[in-house]
Amino acid sequence: METWKEFDQNVISHSAAHHLMAIDDLVGKLGYARVSDVARLLSITRGSVSISLQPLKKADLVLQDENRHLQLSPKGQALVDAIKTKRSLIERLLTELLGVAEDWAKVDACKIEHLLSNTSAQRIVQLFRFLDSGTPTVSAFTEALRAFHSDCSHDPKICPTCEKDCMAERLPED
Amino acid sequence: MANLSTSQFVDELNRMFAEETEAAIRYLHLINAVRGMDRLMVEPILRQAFEETIQHALVIGQKIRTFGAAPQLRVSVDCPGEPLTGKQAVEIALTFEEAALEAYQDMLRKIEGDVVLEEFVRAQITAESQHVAELKELLD
Repeated sequence: METWKEFDQNVISHSAAHHLMAIDDLVGKLGYARVSDVARLLSITRGSVSISLQPLKKADLVLQDENRHLQLSPKGQALVDAIKTKRSLIERLLTELLGVAEDWAKVDACKIEHLLSNTSAQRIVQLFRFLDSGTPTVSAFTEALRAFHSDCSHDPKICPTCEKDCMAERLPED
Repeated sequence: MANLSTSQFVDELNRMFAEETEAAIRYLHLINAVRGMDRLMVEPILRQAFEETIQHALVIGQKIRTFGAAPQLRVSVDCPGEPLTGKQAVEIALTFEEAALEAYQDMLRKIEGDVVLEEFVRAQITAESQHVAELKELLD
């Protein structure tokens, strides 16, 4: 019941994740990243970037040299690499396996990427390793999954998935 | 104008309008977030900075109007609900004041050659430099 509190205690907030990834993208493209570049990329003020960078510098995730150029520390780079990996895993899980439209998958992956634990991400990697193994079992499974269309009776008593209430009814179309 | 078209200059002014407005909101938060005996010393300084920052935003808004445009404001401020010491508040203020100063310095480079606009930006740089110097002095 206390799990929800962990969202607030997460070292990397949604905003912090975007600041770190912006620095990574800019260094990759331009070879450097300044506060002004990050502000432009994220469409926020320099003041906002400077304030957001303070805890990231204190946590030793971002370094700033004497020319005020920003770069990720090895710890920050490892974190960004993990977040980007999770983003691509979630996107693939949603689009390829679950058939979610690419646009939705991108938005949802962006919301989750920094919250997903490495343990769960590793299990998703394991799932894809299984799916990519190309064995007859996998082919049969993926074919069956794609072909499956369940007509929902909205009656939890006869539903093998729902317990008390119909889950489909609780999830109206976006 | 040396390097910027009118619309580009308005874009630059809009960015500064957002910087100043956001800074004013942050000052408003800091004024109320400082707790304990520090309030006696820091509150008047923050209050004065808040008023000056609002004044800067008004001047920039006016400047945007002189170009025949209306200010476009995009701000995103998230100030934590934790009490601050006077030193912490001044450190936060110094962070966003330095960012604003750098933004004006960058802008000055872009408008080099236009005497009237240069004068305006130089005046803003002087005011921001003074803010930064005063805040740094408090942290010495």
